[in-house]
Amino acid sequence: MRWFPSLLLFGFLAAVNALSSSGNRLLVVLEDAAEKGLYSTLWGDLESRGYNLIFESPKSEQLSLFELGERAYDHVLLLPPKSKGFGPSLSPKNLVDFLNSDGNVLLALSGKSTTPSAISSLLLEFDLHLSTDRSSIAVDHFNYDTLSASEKHDILLLERPGKVRPDTKAFFSGEGVIAVPSASPHTLGDNSLLAPILRAPTTAYSYNPKEDAGAVEDVFATGSQLALASAMQARNSARFTLLGSVESLQDKWFSATVQAPGGKEVETANREFAKQLTGWTFKETGVLKVGKIEHHLAKGDLTPEDLNPSIYRIKNETVFSIEISEYNYDGYVPFEIPANDNLQLEFTMLSPFHRLNLAPTAKTPNSTIFSTQFTVPDQHGIFSFRVNYKRPFLTSIEEKHEVTVRHYAHNEYPRSWKITGGWVWIAGLWSVIAGFLAFVVVWLYSEPATAAKAKSKKTQ
Amino acid sequence: MHWWHSLFQLSLLASTALPAAAASWGFTDATVSVQTKGAGVGAGFKEEIPQNGVLSSPVPLGNADTLKVALTAQEGKSAKSAHQVFLLLQDPNSGLDISYPFAVKGNGKSRVELTWKDLPTQFLSTSDPLDARILIGSFGDSAAYNQPAFQLSLARNPDEPVPTFEVSRYGQLPEIHHIFKQDAQSPPFVITLAFVAIVLAIFPVLGGLWLYLGANINHLPVAIKSAPIPHAVFLGSLIAIEGIFFLYYTSWTLFQILPAVAAAGVVAFISGSRALGEVQGRRLAGLR
Repeated sequence: MRWFPSLLLFGFLAAVNALSSSGNRLLVVLEDAAEKGLYSTLWGDLESRGYNLIFESPKSEQLSLFELGERAYDHVLLLPPKSKGFGPSLSPKNLVDFLNSDGNVLLALSGKSTTPSAISSLLLEFDLHLSTDRSSIAVDHFNYDTLSASEKHDILLLERPGKVRPDTKAFFSGEGVIAVPSASPHTLGDNSLLAPILRAPTTAYSYNPKEDAGAVEDVFATGSQLALASAMQARNSARFTLLGSVESLQDKWFSATVQAPGGKEVETANREFAKQLTGWTFKETGVLKVGKIEHHLAKGDLTPEDLNPSIYRIKNETVFSIEISEYNYDGYVPFEIPANDNLQLEFTMLSPFHRLNLAPTAKTPNSTIFSTQFTVPDQHGIFSFRVNYKRPFLTSIEEKHEVTVRHYAHNEYPRSWKITGGWVWIAGLWSVIAGFLAFVVVWLYSEPATAAKAKSKKTQ
Repeated sequence: MHWWHSLFQLSLLASTALPAAAASWGFTDATVSVQTKGAGVGAGFKEEIPQNGVLSSPVPLGNADTLKVALTAQEGKSAKSAHQVFLLLQDPNSGLDISYPFAVKGNGKSRVELTWKDLPTQFLSTSDPLDARILIGSFGDSAAYNQPAFQLSLARNPDEPVPTFEVSRYGQLPEIHHIFKQDAQSPPFVITLAFVAIVLAIFPVLGGLWLYLGANINHLPVAIKSAPIPHAVFLGSLIAIEGIFFLYYTSWTLFQILPAVAAAGVVAFISGSRALGEVQGRRLAGLR
């Protein structure tokens, strides 16, 4: 019973710490230690969700994302630098390497200062584009906070975002208004790994406040083309989130009272939005896990030997099932497919022969089992069951299980007498045999009829 | 797409209309014109938009045409330059929006020119007219202006193909159901039976022909009398060999029939040589 206390301790540690599905070491890169106090609510929220916050200055000499070739942190939160970049230890290459080794990054920018070109080139790696002057801010003369920005209109008030598409999950939705002060907006390239989280309203535009022009005539982008927060989920499901306004994470805006032109005074929902944003980036939400994968012939009583055979015959009725869980803040819950979307199974050899929607058939306390039944195509070869589920905001599922599909064996075809069209040939065969036997009898026992006829018969 | 944004803005607009404490932005002297390349000055479409109003008829814009919108921005009643004077085009179906800034002079006079080349492909591929709104806003307390001005219909040449655009996004793909090859089919039963009847009809024809030629079994009693066992065993072994073949056809395997055929073959060989010796005896006796 020696294992029991350690198991208990392990369970206790898991309950306290394992809130993110991928680790709790969070590096916060903050240049000015004095600014730490401005975000105290955010730090408190993150620590209460189990993160171990490590504050470092980008100038610090011992700062390194990797230690002995392994990731030294699970997540990185980058606040905008005051100097010309994050320095050599946080170069774009190091950050991309960090993402490649499954680390997650949340980068916050501010429209108050010019964004360093090193960050701009990091963002270009992800097909996220800042304006060329890198110091534009988003303004909107229709949706601004009249209490604090009645002159400059640079504190945007936005509804909480809904679904980015009708077939995606809304991870950032909710009641309330988000205040986005002096945001540095960006645009998204045409890239399926990118998804906007928060878009500017139709009437917003970006301009450089340092250019003192009477009217803006050359805009970087307008309206909903401008994104204020965007997500890039790499192929290895590492997450990179770009937030245009670091000020929206400050204590001041977590519980501010704002008023849109002509609207009522309302409390901001920034704190809830920050929880959703950091939770998603640091893999507390939208993380999918595949459990059991089973395929077998469609029949009643299955023995363990019948599961996951390596060979099928053409035209077999086959059942495939996959178990999927979704991580939701503190544990795995049954995964539910968003409305208008489908989990699809492909049965492929080079290209899919079948692509079928998997339907949820069973539920366990923390997973859903999806399955479907289909007939193996009438083509022999090496096939694979593939589930390739890549969706915005959800970690990718890519499963491939190879099986052999064989022909009918020679004794699995229907017998020839069951084929009515073959009866003519069968009758022909047996009539030859009967004729042969009759001929043998006649040849053995026939008496010559007449001499002439016997002669003619001989020549035959 | 972003209906909640527009809803939000609509609610804001609705609420701005009520208090109207500060001055609000607007425009006057607005004209919208379409000039076709090569056509003379003043030949194309030209309409005046009423002050802060909307044009009732849609504005057609052809492939070679240039859309020109000119207006004077004013704050309250006085003409003034605004920071944001935009022509906002919106696709009513997809909600996609793009704004074109006016060139604004100090006295508020603003103009914008637009051709097909400036429009995104997504707009060129829709068939419904686009909503054109005029946005006028600036810093300070004055309420900004955001109202529909006209509808822009793209006069497409019916001979030209509608531009298409493709974006690759992760999402569900169309279902594929394998199309199976058709199973082998037999001809109608009646036709099969007719041909079987033709095959079997050979027997009466063959029997009749043999009888006509004088075939008989008159020597059977003689043969059985002189060599009964060889004849019976020889014929029996021939029938047995065919019987073994029948069993092979229905159920036996190759290695089941090989010893059986070998045994029946040896019997047929030995008894056959005796039986044929008897037949030779009859030939030597001049009986056949």
